[in-house]
Amino acid sequence: MPKKNQPLSRREFLKLSAGVIGATATMGMARGLLTSLEAEEGETYLLQTSTHEEIIPTVCLMCPSGCGMLARVVDGNVVKLEGSPMHPINLGALCPKGQAAPELLYNPDRLAGPLRRVGERGSGEWEPISWSQAIEQVAEKLNGLRDAGHPERAALLYGETRGQMRKFFERFMAAVGSPNTISHDSLNIEAAKLGTLFTQGVYELPNYDLENASYVLSFGANLLEAGRVPERMVAGYSYMRRGRAERGKIVHIDPRQGVTGAKADEWIPIKPGTDAALILAIANVIIKTGQFDSDFVRNYSFGFEDFDDNGRNAVGFKSYVLANFDPRQAENITGVPATTISRIAGEFAGNPPAVAIMPGKGGLLSGNLNGLATAMAINCLNALVGSLEAPGGVLTQRYMPCPDWPDLPSDSIAEAGREAERVDGAGSFFPLGKHAYQAVADRIIEEKTYPVEVLMLYDANPVYEAPGGERFIQAFDKIPFIVSFSTFEDETAQYADLILPEPTFLERWQDDHIEGLGYPGVGLRQPVIEPLLDTMNTGDFLIEVAHAMHAPVSEAFPWEDYKSLLQDRLVDVGTDWETLQELGLWLTPGYRFSRRGNPRWIDEVIGRDRKLSPRDGYFDFYSRELSCLVADLDGDAREAMGAQVSGDAFFLPHYEPVNYEGDEAEFPYMLNVVTLMSLGPYSVAANLPTLQEISGMVVGERWGSWVELNHDLGHELGFEDKDQVWVESPFGKLKTKLRLVEGMRPDVINIPHNQGHKAIGRWAKDRGVNGLEIMNPASEPFTGLASFTNTRVKIYKA
Amino acid sequence: MAKWSMVIDLDKCVACQGCSIACRFENNTPVVSPEEAALGRSILWNEVFPLRSEGEAAIASAQAKFLTRPCMHCEDPPCIKVCPVGATYKDDEGIVRQNYARCIGCRFCTVACPYGVRYFNWYEPSWEEGMDTHLNPDRVAGRGDLEGPAIRPKGVVEKCTFCIHRHHKAIARAEAEGREFRNSDYTPACVQTCTAKARFFGDFDDPNSTVSRLSQSRRAFRLLDEAGTSPKVIYLHEG
Repeated sequence: MPKKNQPLSRREFLKLSAGVIGATATMGMARGLLTSLEAEEGETYLLQTSTHEEIIPTVCLMCPSGCGMLARVVDGNVVKLEGSPMHPINLGALCPKGQAAPELLYNPDRLAGPLRRVGERGSGEWEPISWSQAIEQVAEKLNGLRDAGHPERAALLYGETRGQMRKFFERFMAAVGSPNTISHDSLNIEAAKLGTLFTQGVYELPNYDLENASYVLSFGANLLEAGRVPERMVAGYSYMRRGRAERGKIVHIDPRQGVTGAKADEWIPIKPGTDAALILAIANVIIKTGQFDSDFVRNYSFGFEDFDDNGRNAVGFKSYVLANFDPRQAENITGVPATTISRIAGEFAGNPPAVAIMPGKGGLLSGNLNGLATAMAINCLNALVGSLEAPGGVLTQRYMPCPDWPDLPSDSIAEAGREAERVDGAGSFFPLGKHAYQAVADRIIEEKTYPVEVLMLYDANPVYEAPGGERFIQAFDKIPFIVSFSTFEDETAQYADLILPEPTFLERWQDDHIEGLGYPGVGLRQPVIEPLLDTMNTGDFLIEVAHAMHAPVSEAFPWEDYKSLLQDRLVDVGTDWETLQELGLWLTPGYRFSRRGNPRWIDEVIGRDRKLSPRDGYFDFYSRELSCLVADLDGDAREAMGAQVSGDAFFLPHYEPVNYEGDEAEFPYMLNVVTLMSLGPYSVAANLPTLQEISGMVVGERWGSWVELNHDLGHELGFEDKDQVWVESPFGKLKTKLRLVEGMRPDVINIPHNQGHKAIGRWAKDRGVNGLEIMNPASEPFTGLASFTNTRVKIYKA
Repeated sequence: MAKWSMVIDLDKCVACQGCSIACRFENNTPVVSPEEAALGRSILWNEVFPLRSEGEAAIASAQAKFLTRPCMHCEDPPCIKVCPVGATYKDDEGIVRQNYARCIGCRFCTVACPYGVRYFNWYEPSWEEGMDTHLNPDRVAGRGDLEGPAIRPKGVVEKCTFCIHRHHKAIARAEAEGREFRNSDYTPACVQTCTAKARFFGDFDDPNSTVSRLSQSRRAFRLLDEAGTSPKVIYLHEG
């Protein structure tokens, strides 16, 4: 054995540690050998500094991708995260957010335990309480609502729910007796999901087989920077470009170029909000030239041709598009030359398999009925060339089999409560909406339904992330009891009565549907170390709350904790729990295409989620589901709600000019809040110093915000790069740094998302600006979507 | 003896910065304050940045390009020639390394390096309350002192090591498993994490290795080839 303070040669080290090295190769030698080292000239030694090392698989949650991770845990500390090579979404890779996640785990601004407010709301005065006190208090409040016969007065706002979590929340609220389980989807992906529901009949985001596509049209889908599954899209992109014999072509259509436009073969700067007109003009050319998939259109679709609607001749997709979307007409609307439109149409139809992709999170698809119509149009474009359920086209997400949830106990109070109107107005005030997260504030302030007495917030920070989110603070005045499950004291948690911190994703049990490839898979998030602080998995907490409540609510959750619920739910995935824990995932790989019209096509691919219209295996160019949903509204009523087209066009993909807030003469630019790869969509990422340091790579900025304006226009107007400017909309103004960039249209300005926090922690707080503060807070009248794309702004020197 | 080399396919790279941050967590580079970062004092051994086209700030232009830049591990490294104390050296396998114990912080090398990939520690590296828990404990000893992820003191220059400690861990693992070391056992952190699978690593002298085959591509080029440094990081053009 070498003497103390002498380095070990590699050979000696091997002798020393031969007994230690097993499945987890332990590297290095004992601590305390690191002083006064005298290595021989030219030789390099490996030194042991740890005694125990493990590699534990889990699933990332720094964005919605859900990448497989391997945590390197050395002597109980997470020292490195790597992508899991087994996981099909990221294939061993990890983006900067995932790599930086140890800074989330060890973040000094995390809440150390449950807190009860003692001062005024928002005063930041808290006292620590115990988890049992918290459970008792929440159970008592919910019991109180039920005793008063108003369980619907409880509401839960939630952000990212993974795996079983969304159904679990719905079950919890249903057991209590409330319909108010409200997702933040209306801030981002809801338009795309509804567009797919109203055409294909599946309430999901489409998945794209980029690996086999020859030609990709991206309509504002910033696939290489943000989206629902950026990692998967990057992997698909990489394979499509250089992984196979022939290189696929990508055309990116977006007012802002960004990384996706820069990497694409062609970037088409389109006038913001006019994508639908471009898509329908492409369809026009494809139909006119007869290049569509006539088998699909004739045999598997509804509403392509005109049809008889109880004696009335209803206008179908074909004649509507031919009459209204000649490329020359579209050129005037979109600013894209008619020749370009015709060429793109020819390329799209002539290079099968071709696929048109739409934005998920962080795209331009929301804020107007136009957003929904655009999403429908993109689905129709894929259908037109036969790319639905085809290699190189659109894949429909399938899930691992799970047992049915046990029936809820018979409970007349809950049953009555569940029938109440939702506080967000989804399904009533917003007839097409499933969730209207941002609308909750105004609807509570204006007392549109009934008072909310208990509000729970899970991964929900509406004060920051909803346009004009400050209104939530006002709404909170009318809510006597607010619980936040946030890991940090974020902008919204500041106003809560209880903050019941959840552990970070590296310290908790949670499952994860593997989404983005179509085929079913499940990922398992497991604690890679013991929770560092006095936190509690929100799943565990709500189960304990249910148990502490009176019967029959207490009977609705026959599980000891969330982990045992998961073990129960994942029993049918095809492997045992131990394997799941060891691998961190289980898959049924290989997408199984279903033949047009066969039973699986009808059960899973077309019409799966239709509630009101027939599940007959027909793709709807003319949306029957949509027409059933607004059956009570005649043309006049729809017009009164803000519809800009009348008659059959309402049920067809169509184009509506965006109703901007702000007069064009005074406010010449559209406000575009963009999500970047560096900080991503989740608020907490802004409090990771490493991500702050790389946040503005695209323009060479660090640690802050900027606003992008077209370079030539900026100079014309007398601006200099890096001037301090005010960005003002009809809703407010922000002061930030101006960056003049070339890759964007002159009628748009971009503000990157996830800066301008007023809370969370030392690195996030008071840094940069939040573009959502000056965004139109209104909700779109039919769908209840947030208005992300209809705010105009002006810029002037500060 | 291998001659380690990296190939980066700019056609695949999507400028996600995964490489930069994987490097930070593997090699313990400190976060610098916003004020220091604004002065260009960030320490990211592999930085990603937009390539500026002609004219002021014409970035993210219609011809926008991004570059990811580790140390080039030149065959003929100018940094070594200017070092007055021999603190930086090229090892037997061609990796350009830095002996922190010997470095006097004169920064000649940071000026001599045409690629700007040598970073000076202006301050004692520090991590706030508990944030040092995640620091990589791996250590290797090179010529006279710790190298690799060992925390660098204030006043020395540091740089990309091609994750030298991973090399030695891979050798140790192969020996522990009673087999020959294979070149594929050794992968730097940036290559492992690359989201677009745009980075390749291996022995340039092995004619069958991916890197030497890719280096024959007509898309292949080296940064500032005219400087005569003979970089061992080879890029592949877009398109």
